[in-house]
Amino acid sequence: MKANTLKRIFPVILITVVVFACVALLNWTDSITRGKIEYQKEQQIQTMLAEMFPSMSRYTFEDDIYTIYSNGDRVGYAFIAVGKGYGGDIDILVGLEDEATVKGITIIPPVTETPGLGSRIAESSFTDMFRGLNIADVALSRDGGQIDAITGSTISSRAVVDAVRTEAMEKVKLLKDSEEGG
Amino acid sequence: MGKFGKEFTKGLVLSNPVFILALGLCPTLAVSTSIGNALGMTLAVVIVLLGSNIIISAIRNIVPNMMRIPIFIVIIATLVTVVDLIFQANFPDLHQSLGIFLPLVVVNCIILGRAEAFASKNPIVYSIADALGITVGFMLALLMISFLRQILGTGSLSLSVFGLNINFFTLPILGEHPMAIFILPPGAFLLIGLLLGLFRRMGVMKSE
Repeated sequence: MKANTLKRIFPVILITVVVFACVALLNWTDSITRGKIEYQKEQQIQTMLAEMFPSMSRYTFEDDIYTIYSNGDRVGYAFIAVGKGYGGDIDILVGLEDEATVKGITIIPPVTETPGLGSRIAESSFTDMFRGLNIADVALSRDGGQIDAITGSTISSRAVVDAVRTEAMEKVKLLKDSEEGG
Repeated sequence: MGKFGKEFTKGLVLSNPVFILALGLCPTLAVSTSIGNALGMTLAVVIVLLGSNIIISAIRNIVPNMMRIPIFIVIIATLVTVVDLIFQANFPDLHQSLGIFLPLVVVNCIILGRAEAFASKNPIVYSIADALGITVGFMLALLMISFLRQILGTGSLSLSVFGLNINFFTLPILGEHPMAIFILPPGAFLLIGLLLGLFRRMGVMKSE
């Protein structure tokens, strides 16, 4: 009877032990790689900022806003907006020329939207449309804005457009508030 | 040649995972666009396959039959995530070009296939030989396909992976007018089909 019970619960014990061992291993790997991965992401953002603002000489990062300087002059702002796409979150690096105008956007890889359809949000034919737009005009053309949705990928297109506009308006408000305060 | 050697060499040609067993075709099609990607994928597969074969072979006698698949999958998924994190930290460019196909190693039939067909029935030493042989076979197949795809599709041969950046050569006419179809998925299907046929033909000739 007793041996029988043990035999029956053994698989449960075994898989518990295996899962705990695996979790421990994952935890340990995470702890040794986390710093490096964050550093890589920072490098990636820096490269993207330099592409967006070719004259950039340095930048500061405060309250989730990158402020871009070129030899002491402030040339723009940038921040990361997160859109709810078809295949999960879409991270977008948004650059602002001033408090009303978009400088440009870059989709931060990995792009997890449907390959060949939604993934085209990362292509320059889509991202170029944001250049120099007034923040209020960042909307799909069918919603009265200036951006043409990618054929067959309205959800991904709208996710990007809405995230950029909403987040830009919020950040501009923050910037104006802090200027008035200071 | 001992049994270790036999288990190793069978993966190269006679049961080559890609050309004979027709396993792991999905990553083969996807990452064979350049020899750099092919080597990166091989590194991921060798770490995961070696780890899973060793662990599964070590616990093969205590795992009840009905618990095999869940336990194998948990172990394989853990190893894949570990490799994914390590690649992300150390080879960010490679991690990006392998993209979704790195986490997808978890459902690569080669890994679970070897766990089921070999490691769960054989001692550790032979499981190591099996893992190494199968990976070398996988690497040879990937290199063969990606070599042809890169040459035909871009007209040049270069290797950029793990911080290396070597340009071997650029072909005169093909370099200016590359056949881009070979970089695209249809080219991969064409080449894999032709190579599968070739390997089959060689197998038939050998057995005759």
